[in-house]
Amino acid sequence: MTLPALDIFDPSSYPTRRDEEWKYSDLSRVLREAPKKAMVVRTLSELEAEPDGFVYFSADESGFDGLQKAADFAMQKAHGRLYIDGNDFGDEDGYLGYQGHGELRLAAGQELVVFEDYTGAFDYAVHSRLRFTLGEGAKLTRVVILDEPETAVSVRQSTIEAAPASVFKQYVFSTGAKFQRFETHVNHAGHGAVVEMNGAYLLKDKRHFEYTTRVTHGQINGETAQLIKGLVKDSATGVFQGRILVEKGADGTDARMRHQALILNDGAHIRAKPELEIYADDVQCAHGNTIGAIDEEALFFCESRGIPEETARAMLTHAFVLPVADQIEDEVLRETVLNFLENASESFHAL
Amino acid sequence: MLSIKNLSVAVDTKQILKGLSLDVPAGEVHAIMGPNGAGKSTLGYALAGRPNYNVTSGTVEFNGENLLDKDVHERAAAGLYLSFQYPLEIPGVPALTFLRTALNAQHKLRGEPEVAAPEFLKRVREVAKTLKIDMDMLKRPLNVGFSGGEKKRMEVLQMALLEPKFLILDETDSGLDIDALKVVSDGVNALRAPDRGMLVITHYQRLLDHIKPDRVHVLVAGKIVRSGGPELALELEAHGYDQYLGEAA
Repeated sequence: MTLPALDIFDPSSYPTRRDEEWKYSDLSRVLREAPKKAMVVRTLSELEAEPDGFVYFSADESGFDGLQKAADFAMQKAHGRLYIDGNDFGDEDGYLGYQGHGELRLAAGQELVVFEDYTGAFDYAVHSRLRFTLGEGAKLTRVVILDEPETAVSVRQSTIEAAPASVFKQYVFSTGAKFQRFETHVNHAGHGAVVEMNGAYLLKDKRHFEYTTRVTHGQINGETAQLIKGLVKDSATGVFQGRILVEKGADGTDARMRHQALILNDGAHIRAKPELEIYADDVQCAHGNTIGAIDEEALFFCESRGIPEETARAMLTHAFVLPVADQIEDEVLRETVLNFLENASESFHAL
Repeated sequence: MLSIKNLSVAVDTKQILKGLSLDVPAGEVHAIMGPNGAGKSTLGYALAGRPNYNVTSGTVEFNGENLLDKDVHERAAAGLYLSFQYPLEIPGVPALTFLRTALNAQHKLRGEPEVAAPEFLKRVREVAKTLKIDMDMLKRPLNVGFSGGEKKRMEVLQMALLEPKFLILDETDSGLDIDALKVVSDGVNALRAPDRGMLVITHYQRLLDHIKPDRVHVLVAGKIVRSGGPELALELEAHGYDQYLGEAA
């Protein structure tokens, strides 16, 4: 599976809205010229396991060199937990650019939990591309937090090559950025393989987040489940583009996709494009997309018990996105995400 | 304690209450009875401060303060508690978390110290036991998947923990079977106190057999058309509201 070429340093490669896949996210409009290349001095420190069981890996301009080595170390010497620190620093004077590609392979039966923590400061534009290859029966869990500044431009793409009986679980949590696109392409191997791609987003001000997922079922008996929940307010935009393609002969496929969003005020937007393309006969597929408003009656009920409006709104917001985080099996990461969501829910409603 | 004078309330633009006056002194339980659409629930919602329930005229004094000036949560902290006819489900928020958040928010607004978790749990356990509420139920999201009876018992549990000065019970008997009605009524009766007032809104005499009122008021077409002692409820049960419908029109 190959992705169309995008070079963050070459504006002529930027997709435009004319490209169906980029209909709701116009990169050429937010990034009018190429960002400057960031000068980064990178020192590869000795790999060691942190006390909480994570092997620490820093991703920056030199890309994801050493990613495999860090992952192997995590799987062999530590608890199978890898922490990718994607902290990008920009400039206050024009955009600084970062671009990196990385590859990671899990051999048959290996298990890895990857925590990708993307933060940053000032004006930067980043494009990353990760490729994960899973061996038979391997299990990869990916927990991603996108906590970027409102000026950031980021496009993070990844492809996953699954294998029979492998498990891939992805959880993405975002507060958006000036432009933020998270894109995942999965080549589903079927034969008992399980794919889950979930996410939650809380977008305010003028922030933009797009979650694009593509799953291709080319083999029999594959399972895909997706739950994406989000809230938007002010003039923020949330986009979910999900496509599940079930090819001819991929019988016994079980695919479910759910996207639930709340729009808190006029002026905020949700663009949802859930797609199921089914060419096989014997499959179970479903998709649901609901867009609504916060439950004012529940809000009044909370307030009538003495909870101030802002606290009540934050509580209901947190409760809305909670089911996504609750599915994370790794306890440490589940707690990390719950904390992130609690803080995000509070600041989401703070004036 | 609660003094309502000439209260008119419109829901959105529809006038529902039309000059209602009522005084409930501390220590008394008053019942409001009336046919469907008379404005019984509107009175409860307006007192609690529900959005879109617009007070078009009149005053409400609560313990000497202007109640209508306060936000919804401030009214709660001042001691007003509205028990909902249909308590809302709050997915994702465990009942215990909800209760503690509400209790401490009220304490904070009143300038009282926070209730620490162990003390809080101890109190919850005591009250839950008398209401036959299982502690496991309190770990589940508030009211989600609870039966009608369980929801009403949760309402009484919240009253008992929040210790309001004034209770408004909006059709607390609806959806309750005889046993549940007794548990809920016992819970409410346990809260009767010389410094606490109650307003019991109901269609039927049934609830008033359990929660005995000091006064009964008949609300028809947005106004109180008659007030009397507990015997008035029995009379209504026997003769219905028909006799009043003509008067109000």
